[in-house]
Amino acid sequence: MIILRCPYCRELKSEDELSYGGEAWVSRPLEPHRADDEQWTDYLHMRSNPKGLVFEQWCCSSGCGQWFKVERDTATHAVLRIVRFDAEPRAA
Amino acid sequence: MSAGHGYRLPLGGSIDRGTELTFSFNGRRMIGYGGDTLASALIANGVSLIARSLKWHRPRGFFGACVEDPNSMLEVRDAHGCDPAIRAGQVRLVQGLQATTLSGWPSPDFDIGAVARLASGVLGAGFYYKTFKWPDWQWFEPVIRRMTGYGRAGRNIDERSVQHSHATCDVLVIGSGPSGLAVARALKDSGLRIVVAEQGHMLGGSCLWEQGQIDGQSSLSFRNRILAELEAAASVTLLPSTVVTGAYEGDMFTLVQTLHDSRGIRCERHWRLHATNVVLATGMIDRPLPFVNNDRPGIMLSSAVRRLIGQFAVAPARRLCIYTNNDSAYLTAMNARRAGMDVVAVVDTRPAAAAIHADPTGQLGIPLYFDSLIENTSGYRRLEAIQVRSGDGSRRELACDGLAISGGWVPTLHLAAHRGIKPVYDEARSMHICSSLPPGWFAIGGANGALDLEAAMDEAECAAEVIAAAHRVAPLRRRCHIEADSFGTVTPAWLPPSGPSTKIWIDLQNDVTAADIELAARENYVSIEHLKRYTTLGMGTDQGRTSNVNGLAMLASLTGRPIAEVGTTTFRPPFSSVRFSTIANARRGDLYQPRRRLPAEQVHREWGCVMEDSGWERPDWYRSNGPDRESAVAEEMRAVRESVGVFDSSSLGKIEITGPDAATFLARFYVSNMATLKPGRIRYSVMLREDGVIADDGVVACISPQHFLASPTSGNAATIAAWFERWRQTEWPSLRVAVSNATENWAALAIAGRAARRLLQRLDPDFDSSAGAFGHMEFRAGKLSGIPARVARVSFTGELQYEISVPSRYASSLMRALLTSSDGLTPRPVGLEAWLRLRLEKGYIHFGSETNGRTSPLDIGMAGIVARRSDDFIGKRSLSLPFATSPEREQLVGLIATHGALRAGGRIMVAGHSSAPCPTEGYVTSACFSPTLGESIGLALIERGHQREGDAVSVYCAGRIVLARICAPTFFDPKNERLHL
Repeated sequence: MIILRCPYCRELKSEDELSYGGEAWVSRPLEPHRADDEQWTDYLHMRSNPKGLVFEQWCCSSGCGQWFKVERDTATHAVLRIVRFDAEPRAA
Repeated sequence: MSAGHGYRLPLGGSIDRGTELTFSFNGRRMIGYGGDTLASALIANGVSLIARSLKWHRPRGFFGACVEDPNSMLEVRDAHGCDPAIRAGQVRLVQGLQATTLSGWPSPDFDIGAVARLASGVLGAGFYYKTFKWPDWQWFEPVIRRMTGYGRAGRNIDERSVQHSHATCDVLVIGSGPSGLAVARALKDSGLRIVVAEQGHMLGGSCLWEQGQIDGQSSLSFRNRILAELEAAASVTLLPSTVVTGAYEGDMFTLVQTLHDSRGIRCERHWRLHATNVVLATGMIDRPLPFVNNDRPGIMLSSAVRRLIGQFAVAPARRLCIYTNNDSAYLTAMNARRAGMDVVAVVDTRPAAAAIHADPTGQLGIPLYFDSLIENTSGYRRLEAIQVRSGDGSRRELACDGLAISGGWVPTLHLAAHRGIKPVYDEARSMHICSSLPPGWFAIGGANGALDLEAAMDEAECAAEVIAAAHRVAPLRRRCHIEADSFGTVTPAWLPPSGPSTKIWIDLQNDVTAADIELAARENYVSIEHLKRYTTLGMGTDQGRTSNVNGLAMLASLTGRPIAEVGTTTFRPPFSSVRFSTIANARRGDLYQPRRRLPAEQVHREWGCVMEDSGWERPDWYRSNGPDRESAVAEEMRAVRESVGVFDSSSLGKIEITGPDAATFLARFYVSNMATLKPGRIRYSVMLREDGVIADDGVVACISPQHFLASPTSGNAATIAAWFERWRQTEWPSLRVAVSNATENWAALAIAGRAARRLLQRLDPDFDSSAGAFGHMEFRAGKLSGIPARVARVSFTGELQYEISVPSRYASSLMRALLTSSDGLTPRPVGLEAWLRLRLEKGYIHFGSETNGRTSPLDIGMAGIVARRSDDFIGKRSLSLPFATSPEREQLVGLIATHGALRAGGRIMVAGHSSAPCPTEGYVTSACFSPTLGESIGLALIERGHQREGDAVSVYCAGRIVLARICAPTFFDPKNERLHL
């Protein structure tokens, strides 16, 4: 069972209390109409899906409702880093 | 020995002889004591035949004392429920318990099916695969299923209470034998939260039955003293009667705890427990020795015999023989003798020199036969004698009704195996152990293959030290002085010199014999996983606890490989059977999911509503409108079309979007541009997933430039609120906007029909509600009769319609006011069915009916709106991908039946086909008979539908073929005149 400490409310939450949001750092093309079909479908569907370290989005959905990023080893479930979204703001 | 339970020893045992418990077995009244298991009580009452075997219907008795027993599956009933199949050794005896055998007809004592043994030699390995393959296994399956299996599934839902418990701990100790208790004691004052789980109903494990001395005390006194210390420690949780059923990723464990209330009624607690450190102190069990006719009732594992004598003061036989290839069985002989039993002999396969406990055993007057084998046994319903052949060639028959066997040991490693650890074969100790463990895990004592108590206690101390160091706490260091007989050494004996035979049972539960394994090996099933599936070895409910190792060792010798090379099969959760009702738990019936109730439910009931549950409990139709559903629905539709009806739409989502960037934010979600929405105006649209599929539909009202109200579909409010919030946080954190789901705060009542305005005005609005001042798709916030209200002039029915929202607490009073007849108005309450049929006549889509997981806005006629948007919104780019623009897509159309009645779900048959089955090209998404039009109408998603207006199609509807004509998806008032009244 994955247990994470929410970086916003600081509570320890089990995966039952969290929502999983897939891989993080998947960047949405800033101008979708300029992306060709392949670039757009890559954004839609292609993920790195590694055996090993990956950044994921998780939400404290049964708690404070905040999304955050987790660096997790998919092979061992070891959690290396938990990062708030407001730690590295990105352009809207 | 008293007459009541003649196999009870006069002294000893951890039973409460002051508490007599009455129970029944196959209707026979019996007496046991407090502290008994059902198995120990049955054996004490002289029950030896407990089942008939699966294939051969051979008489079978108790083989183990607890979870390892392959034979004693019984139906067990108490005052509150029934376990259709549970192992007798796992049931704590309670007053009034009723146990019934599962196999054997008419009874296990006299079983007609036993004629099957005449077919011996036919029902070999793979018999079913070889025999029932023509014409089709499915022909035979129902009959064969009836002949096999355990128990009868209960028809009644088990009403015993089950609770869920989610918890975490620092250290989970599994098993409460001496080493498990020692770890818990060493850490009890460290501040670490410790859970000790014990599958038996008494804590203490082998302390309850083994004879060693710890610190000069009996192991039982040691156990009592430590338990007193642990019970006093606040950070230690002791869980007796608790089976750890599974170990999962991230060190999450499932536990099933059986509790008894004051009346002895069983209830359960299903735990999900997360542990940082895990101590596997699960001990080990004997494995059997193979010999001819080794399955007779009375033949039992040596460790089980010790446990029955030590813990329950039960003698499993009047005259006991011992058969062994190792030293631990000598302890059984000595314990039995000291308990006053008649021990006939110890038969050891090894030479005298190997036996370390031979002298003290011999001094008790027990004959010892070394270098000897059991060649055969006799007796039918119970063992009567064994035939022994010694190395010097001499043969003797020993009369006995009990035989304790030990062929070496099997550490209980299942939980480590659940985590992917492969046990490896240790040649020196002739057993499978874990050479590595998951991080933070420790295996100690028997589970680690320790063969004497001193080693086990050393391992416990070591584990406690390492755990304490990892948590930076200090353990309690206290060395114990141990005096206990070692289990010594084992000389493996996998197969008798006589070779495989159909009379040597390897798996007692599934009736797999040595001959079956030999046949499977001959047919090249040489992988242990294949052997298992081909012969069903180890596939019973006992998970092959007593059969796996012997089976794989036999396969190794038959194929000339070392045991280590054969490997083991995979252990998967659960460790022992878990009832579905335990897992389902309280999540059933009313507690399956929360019932969502409308705030005006009381008023609906007063009007005779018939509820339907689709996430919300909503009125489907009202008895006050007609005696049956069809007539009531027709009356409700008539009221809306001719006068006015009131529909409770409180379940519709209400999500408030506020902030300076609210309009920009919303524009990115909806296909229509919400950024151009002016205060007081409403716009209908759909929102998409990023792949272009419709995610929801609904209206958005602009209350003020920085305040919008979105109304997602009833079932979707929480999802859409979370969707908004996710994009706000993860993609556009710089937008100054807040999202809040206010669905339950507001009740919403829709009034629809040409008289709706008169009904609204009866409520005395404080704003101008005339047709000219308050147009279609406009929004007003104000007061109705002094109550704060939001009124949206939107229509789902095609009629003049207002949706009035008031704070939920006013729902009932508003509903009553609206339904009051006066001024010549007789408003009718309208249920969901009529409401949906009204919108079908109008041709409005219902999200989830007219849309599926592939439907795009282009498919439902919104291409023009999409084309007009110059800026981006979620999913827009996907609408120009080839699959989205393909002309072959299913597109929304209307259908009018020309012959027959359309039904939702009907399939559109490809032209040229007149009978089913045939290829289809779409389906009817909604259908009804329209009283307004007098025709059967429907909406449908049909390939290339937009170009096919006027086409005639055949529709396969639940066995009938209906003819229909494709039309535009608007049947009623296509010019929208009614909306603008």
